[in-house]
Amino acid sequence: MADSPEEINKKKKLYMVIGGLLFVFTAITVMVATFEPLDFGEHGFDHVDAIIGLAIAAFKASLVMLIFMHLNHEKKLIYFIYGLGLVMAFFCMALIGWAKFDPIRFGNWEHADGFYNPEKPATKPDH
Amino acid sequence: MEIPFVVNARKDTGLFNSKVGIWLFLASEVTLFGGLFSAYLFLRLYADYPWPERALPVLPGLINTFVLIASSVTVVFAWAALKMREWRKFQIYMWITLLCALLFLGLKGVEYKAKFDHQAVRISGGGPVEDFGILEGHVHYVKLDGDKLEEVPYENRHDEGVFPANRLIFKASDLTFALKRPAHEAYVDMILEQTPEGSSIKLVDDYVVDGETIMEKGTELSIDVLSDLEDSFLDARARDSKIRTQFEKASWAWIKNEQGVTDMSTYVVETDLWKDRRAADVVAYTPLMLSAAAEVAFKIEPPFNLVLDPDDTPRGLRTNEQVRLRDDTVVKGKMLDSPIIMGVDAIDFSYTAQRAELEDIDPMEVIKTSWILTHEAAHHDGDGHAEEGSGKADHRNDFKKAWDCHTAWLKYETERLKEDGRVPTDNDKYRVNWDQMLAYKKLDYDPEAVYNAAKADDGSLYSTHLFDPSGFAGANHKKYEFPHIEIPRDKIGFESTFTPKWNTYYAIYFVITGLHGLHVIGGALVLGYYLFFGRKMYESNPEWLANRVEVGGLFWHFVDLVWIFLFPILYLM
Repeated sequence: MADSPEEINKKKKLYMVIGGLLFVFTAITVMVATFEPLDFGEHGFDHVDAIIGLAIAAFKASLVMLIFMHLNHEKKLIYFIYGLGLVMAFFCMALIGWAKFDPIRFGNWEHADGFYNPEKPATKPDH
Repeated sequence: MEIPFVVNARKDTGLFNSKVGIWLFLASEVTLFGGLFSAYLFLRLYADYPWPERALPVLPGLINTFVLIASSVTVVFAWAALKMREWRKFQIYMWITLLCALLFLGLKGVEYKAKFDHQAVRISGGGPVEDFGILEGHVHYVKLDGDKLEEVPYENRHDEGVFPANRLIFKASDLTFALKRPAHEAYVDMILEQTPEGSSIKLVDDYVVDGETIMEKGTELSIDVLSDLEDSFLDARARDSKIRTQFEKASWAWIKNEQGVTDMSTYVVETDLWKDRRAADVVAYTPLMLSAAAEVAFKIEPPFNLVLDPDDTPRGLRTNEQVRLRDDTVVKGKMLDSPIIMGVDAIDFSYTAQRAELEDIDPMEVIKTSWILTHEAAHHDGDGHAEEGSGKADHRNDFKKAWDCHTAWLKYETERLKEDGRVPTDNDKYRVNWDQMLAYKKLDYDPEAVYNAAKADDGSLYSTHLFDPSGFAGANHKKYEFPHIEIPRDKIGFESTFTPKWNTYYAIYFVITGLHGLHVIGGALVLGYYLFFGRKMYESNPEWLANRVEVGGLFWHFVDLVWIFLFPILYLM
């Protein structure tokens, strides 16, 4: 932990730089999502935009965690506690995979995207 | 007593205790928000309707992101100032942090308000996919003129008798209250408030319990009258059930002591012995029962028009002859025309298109048959604008005109994107957004002009842009006039403001941002406590205060961290 006045003063400059970086990357996120020449992948929102958006968010989040929350030099215990939380959060996300492997199926499922339509004949009409 | 390890580190952990505490808390918070993000992912991946992509106005969210980042910087500066023992600087940085929190919450409030004021209606019935066209806009204000609705200007919305035009108008002639549901105050209040002078609501028959008249025929409805009736009913019912219990107890004693049944398991009740005894019981106690009426009827004379919030009587509980309120009060009478009247700022056919695609029908063909585009405009603007060269009067309603312009715009957009091998999105194709509504209107609903303006790409099409403050939190109905519509009740498949009821996107939006907002409030309260009540501790033990601020700051950074993910996910994806 930075305790001496000189070290803290040095840190303050770093905090300013990180704050600036966060501002810049926020602007980039918005640009990528709204400015057409920067629209990667298909036109409009698609998985490429999702990956870019989340990657920028993850980068910004790590800056906040590492610098503002001092996780760049912290005691082992903290890493353990916080890591546990992250693992649990990841586990929550992974849980929805169950829905993929165990869908509710009944009636006529004509379409791969899984819409149930009792009125619909089991096969596609020929046209 | 001195609290150990709040200033100095413990030897085994190398940390002061409150820091371990806050990190344990933050780890649990990560799991909590992880669960909510997981819920968001689940709802989105498995949504059976077109997920609203990039549906929120970006600007308020963007400003809020900047605000939170700035406050993260100032809170860490406040901590650094305490470490350097600069009280004045600490105060300044903490003040800025708190003002940022306030600004954030204020903007959130503006956004929420815009959602609460924004009405959506899904049209139902007709066509191969039951329509499913969606209209979004602001409900106009009306008052009753006899049995007819009369529009009043927005400025007069607070006048007496004025209400938003999404209500049900029901000519009420009879009221029946269910006395076993003793929670009628809210609705009785509402009904009495709306009762016009000259109308009276009177008890139809004497309410009699055990030969005694509790309330005489002709008594006027009031909360006191109703609660007296409820009390007598509940007392009578309690007495009845006491008698029934006594009989049942006697029967249990009889079957055990006189019939020698010692196995008192539940199977006893299946035996003929028990069943016969109980049948005899019923015959014996029935004359002793008070059997007070569970419902009381009131007559409304002369009938008057009751204005009901559709939420007070959900669809399954109402017909044209009677409505059942949520407290089981039944109102009989006649439903009058209760259209939703609004200014429409967006037309969305993406739901229609999705359903059409499932049926293997061309979405554009289905959309053409939608009621939105085919209905006769009640308030026809009557400018007799003729289609060029046809010589005939233009009978298209404003929405059909807007849609024709949209098709022209889409034609150009498709051509333009094709050059790069790209295609328009579903949003491009099936949704006419508020800025497009304005643009088409500005060009007099002339498809050719729209096509040319889009091609010219000189900014002549749109009068607004992303950072236009006039569309800060959505379409601005005060500044612009949007096409007017009167949607008959029987065409309304589903209606709601943009609240959790509308769809799962808004449900998860309000859950996550609401919880995040509560975190902002909680964090600001703690940081505010250090600022306003920290002086004493600063003088006696400044290092302790610095540690406290560090811990509060860690929480604040976490709140920022959550928003860093929320902003792109909710606003940009």
